[in-house]
This record gives sequence, structure tokens and C-alpha cells, in this order.
Amino acid sequence: MAMLWTNYIGVGAIILFGIGFMILLLNNNLIKKIIGMNIMETSIFLLFITIGNIDGKEAPIIVGGKMSEAGYINPIPTALMLTGIVVAVSVTACMLALTIKYHAFYGTIELDEIRAIRGESDE
Amino acid sequence: MSEFILSSTRLIPLVTIMGLMIGAFIMPLLKSKKKVYGFYLTMNIIVFVLNVINLRYVAVHGAYLLEIGHFKAPFGIVFRIGEIEAVIGLLFAFVMMMIAWYSYYGLEKEISSKRIGFFYTLISLLLASLLGIVYTYDLFNGFVFIEVSTLAACGIIVIKDKKENIKATLKYLILSTLGSGLVLMGIALVYSMSGHLSMGHIQSVLSSNVIGNENSILISLILFTIGLGIKGAMFPLHIWLPDAHSSAPTPSSAILSALVIKAPIIFLIKIYYLVYGFEILSGTYVLDLLLIFGSLGMLVGSLLARSQKELKRMIAYSSVSQMGYIFFGIGLGNRLGLGMAVYHIIAHGVTKSSLFLAAGSFIEQTGHKMIDDFKGIGKEMPVTLGIFTISALSMIGIPVLPGFISKWNLSMAAIESGRIYLLAILLASSLLNASYYFPIIINGYFGEDNLDGKIFNSKSKPIKTLMPLIILTIAMILVGFMSGTVIDFIDRGIYFN
Repeated sequence: MAMLWTNYIGVGAIILFGIGFMILLLNNNLIKKIIGMNIMETSIFLLFITIGNIDGKEAPIIVGGKMSEAGYINPIPTALMLTGIVVAVSVTACMLALTIKYHAFYGTIELDEIRAIRGESDE
Repeated sequence: MSEFILSSTRLIPLVTIMGLMIGAFIMPLLKSKKKVYGFYLTMNIIVFVLNVINLRYVAVHGAYLLEIGHFKAPFGIVFRIGEIEAVIGLLFAFVMMMIAWYSYYGLEKEISSKRIGFFYTLISLLLASLLGIVYTYDLFNGFVFIEVSTLAACGIIVIKDKKENIKATLKYLILSTLGSGLVLMGIALVYSMSGHLSMGHIQSVLSSNVIGNENSILISLILFTIGLGIKGAMFPLHIWLPDAHSSAPTPSSAILSALVIKAPIIFLIKIYYLVYGFEILSGTYVLDLLLIFGSLGMLVGSLLARSQKELKRMIAYSSVSQMGYIFFGIGLGNRLGLGMAVYHIIAHGVTKSSLFLAAGSFIEQTGHKMIDDFKGIGKEMPVTLGIFTISALSMIGIPVLPGFISKWNLSMAAIESGRIYLLAILLASSLLNASYYFPIIINGYFGEDNLDGKIFNSKSKPIKTLMPLIILTIAMILVGFMSGTVIDFIDRGIYFN
């Protein structure tokens, strides 16, 4: 229990991941699904940044003279998450475009989840 | 001089990926369809030839690491090209080339001519990202390539612009996003345990820090398995596959079934054996999980395929059952099983692409989609049904053809691992395969009332449009005949230590 409390950011990230995952999986509305996906991916970004963070150290940007490398946090997770954000943005854009197409064809943005999960052909 | 040639040969993986990615964005600028096609095919032939050279290099000099931009491993991105990567890369380049050749004759009947340029852009991006997934030695780099391949694969499904395509693509994209979310979470856990992303460095840290980290290791393993299992159509997570593969245009279906679902599995194998290593892996029950899912996929995938009325859906479900064999091979957890999983990836890649293209030719020439409408097709399109028959026989497992080789050796691996009851599953799955492929062949060739009113060769395509299919079939038979060489080669590069 104490461990959970000291790692509260990580625990929060996992809870957010669960929330986003369930919204993406269980909600029928496409826009809500996209929001769920964004929550899920943002939670992973949060977790990653937490891994790289060291309390009391500065962001690895050199302003007015260089400290020793012990003065900075780990920059790699931050750089990775920059890439992760780009990936998430492109997936979101692709899904939004498909949602517009879906609306044009079906006149709704609600997916019929039961049939979708069964994988039956209903056309 | 020869030193220079050797060091430039080592750049081939990077050059092929970069070339394809740059070439992808030149294609929309070309005006006529002929130019686009010529450009793509030239590029793909170059990639194919380079991959042959690369395979030859690996065969002589063994596996090597390629440091991109000369940054050393913990900081820079590294590719690892061993025997398995080289042979899978060659397979991808070869199958993609044949499918692109086929698509020149048939694609315009399925998608509007304005989109032809985009199709070739997408498949060259797809090929680049698939090669990237296979070659990579860096977890995060692999994740980025997987995302690129997912989006490109969505593109080649949705390019037909029909109602069912949009729905199938959305379903694929949603499930894929779930999968990549899980993979990224797994990477986060591994990074928090080891502080590295390069596979070799992770393994050296993890193997000395197992105690105290068992739960994190198990959770991250399961996250990778489920996440990549969604992308690789592992049985209970395959629900996106039949819709996506059956509604896409024929060349896309062939690409999706033969290549796109294979690359994540190579990545999964690399994660299992290069990141965790066999010692950690055998301490968990993940391999047993894979074995159970694989067996279920083999049986239920075949049963579902049997109940389909539409030809392309049937072949798509057959893919689910064939992927079951691959997971079964990995799940056996011995050297032969893993080697056979890789061999089956090759076998299924060449077989399923020719099967899908043959089925696409039937649909294109007759305009029907249902299996019942293809009675007597053997009289109208004898050559195409002949190709279909050979591929189907390989799927069922008739000796000498690659499907038989992998089933035989999988049985051997099952016996070796001391679980003889698994043979029953292999046998049952083979019989089920036969039960849905044989009716098509028999109804196509024989039966008096089936052939009534059918004119010989009336719907057959000109031989030049069938050439890619014939070459694929020859390649498939060669993979079967030369299975000893192929299996030895895979065995040299297997990650088992």
C-alpha cells in the first residue's frame, strides 16, 4: 500500500490506461472511442515521462552555462514520447477521417458492437 | 576495395527501407498509370535483388548489427540482420513484387483509377515498414514501424471506398490501436526495469535482475503477447481479420494475409528470445498460453472457415487457422518448433498469396462471390483453378508441398516436447482443412451437372496476367522441395541459446 502511495503517478497512469482501454473497447460511439484512445495513449506518455523523471533535477535544456550531467533528468523518455505523440496524432487523424466516411455511408457514428465483435457479415 | 564492397553490402537493409520510403512520395507526382507502375516495379525489383545479395552476404559472413548513423547501441537505433531476418526480408520483397505485378492487370477493375497512384504509395510504405519491423533491434523503433504498417494497411483496405470497407477498416484500426497501446505499455515496463531499448542491452540487464522483478516481467510479456497477438491474428483476437481481408481489393487481401500479419510475429519472436531469453521465458506460462491459443486457432479457425459461404471470407478464416500453426510452433518452446514457426511463415506467405490472387481472378472474371457459384469453374478457367488446387493442397498438407513439411516437422517437435496428444490437434486441423478446400476443387473440375453449359476456357485470363500466379506457385513448390536447405538455413540463425 505504501508502495502504491509513493508511486502515485504511475498508479494514476495505469488507472487512466484502464479507463481509456475500456472506453475504446466497450463504447459504441466512434468519437468516444477516439477520446478513449487518446486517454489511453496519454496515460502511457505520463508513465514514460515518470520513469525518466528525477525529483529536483532540471529538464535537459542548457540555459546559461552547463551543469554536470547529474543535474539533469533522463532525456530519452521525453524524446521517445515526442515520437509517440506524433504517432498518436496520425492515428487519431486517420480515425477521424474514417469516422466522417462512416457517417457519410451509414448516417450514424454508432457502431453496432455485438455484431462487430462477432465478426459476422451484415452487409 | 573488397572491404568497401563488404561494408556497403551491410547498408542494404537501411538503403532498401529509405529508398522505398522516399520513392513512396514520388509516385503521386507521376501522371500516368503506366509510369507509376513502372516506377514501383523497378523499385521493388531493386529491393528484391538487394535482398538476394543481403541473403548471400549473411549466408557467408553470418549475422551482423547495423548501427544507423554510427551511433552505438544504447543511444542509437540498431538493426540486427541474421539468417531469419534476411530470409523473411527476401520473402516479403518477392511476394510484394508478384502481387504488384498481378495488380497491374486487375486493380483498375476494383478501385477508381484516380487512386492507383496512392495504392502504390501505400504498398511501398507498407513494404518499407514491414522490412523495418523484421530488421529492428530496438523496441521503440519496432513500435514506430508497426504503427506505420498499421496505417498503411488501413489505407489499402479503405482504398476501395465501399460501405463494408469503411466498417472493416474502422474495426481493424480500433483493435490495432488497442494492440499498439498494449505494446507501448509493455515497452514502458521493460524500460523501467532495464533502462534500455536496445534488445541486447535489455537482455543483459534483465537476465541478472530476474529476482524481485518476476511480476513486472510476466506482465510485460503478456502485454507484448496480447498486443502483437491482435496484430498477428492470434485466435480469440482475430475478429478484425475476416472482414478486413475479405472486403479489401484482391491484391490488398493477398498482401494483408501473406505479409502484414507475419511481421508482428517475427517481432514477437525477437522479443521473446532476444529481449527476455529462453530462461526467463520458460519460467513463465506464456508459451503454454500461446500453445493453447494456437491450437484453438487451428481448430476453430478451420471450423469457421468451413461454415463460410463467401470464397474470400473462407480463405481469410483459413489464414486464422494457419496463424494458429505458427503460434503452435512458437508455443512448443523447443528449437524445432520455433524453426518450423519461421518456416511456416515462409510457406504460408507464398501459398496464401497465390490462393488469394487465384480466388480474386475467379471473382473478377465471373462477378460472383459465393462458393456455390464457382461450380464448374474448372472448365471455364482451368489454369487458374489448377493454381488454386496446388495451393490448396499445400494448405491441406499433401507431401512435398510446404504445408506438409511444416505439419510433419511440427508433429516431430510436438513429440520431441513430450506432448503426443498434440498430434491429434494437428491431424484434426488437417482434416478440417481438407473438408473445406476439397469441395471447391471437386465441384470445380468434376460432376456432370456442374459442367453443363460451361464452355471450355471461356473465362480464362490471358497467360501473361497469370504469370505472377504461376511464378508464385513455382516458388511455393521450390520452398517445399528445397525444404531441407531452407530449414537448415533458418536453424543456423535461430535465436535459441
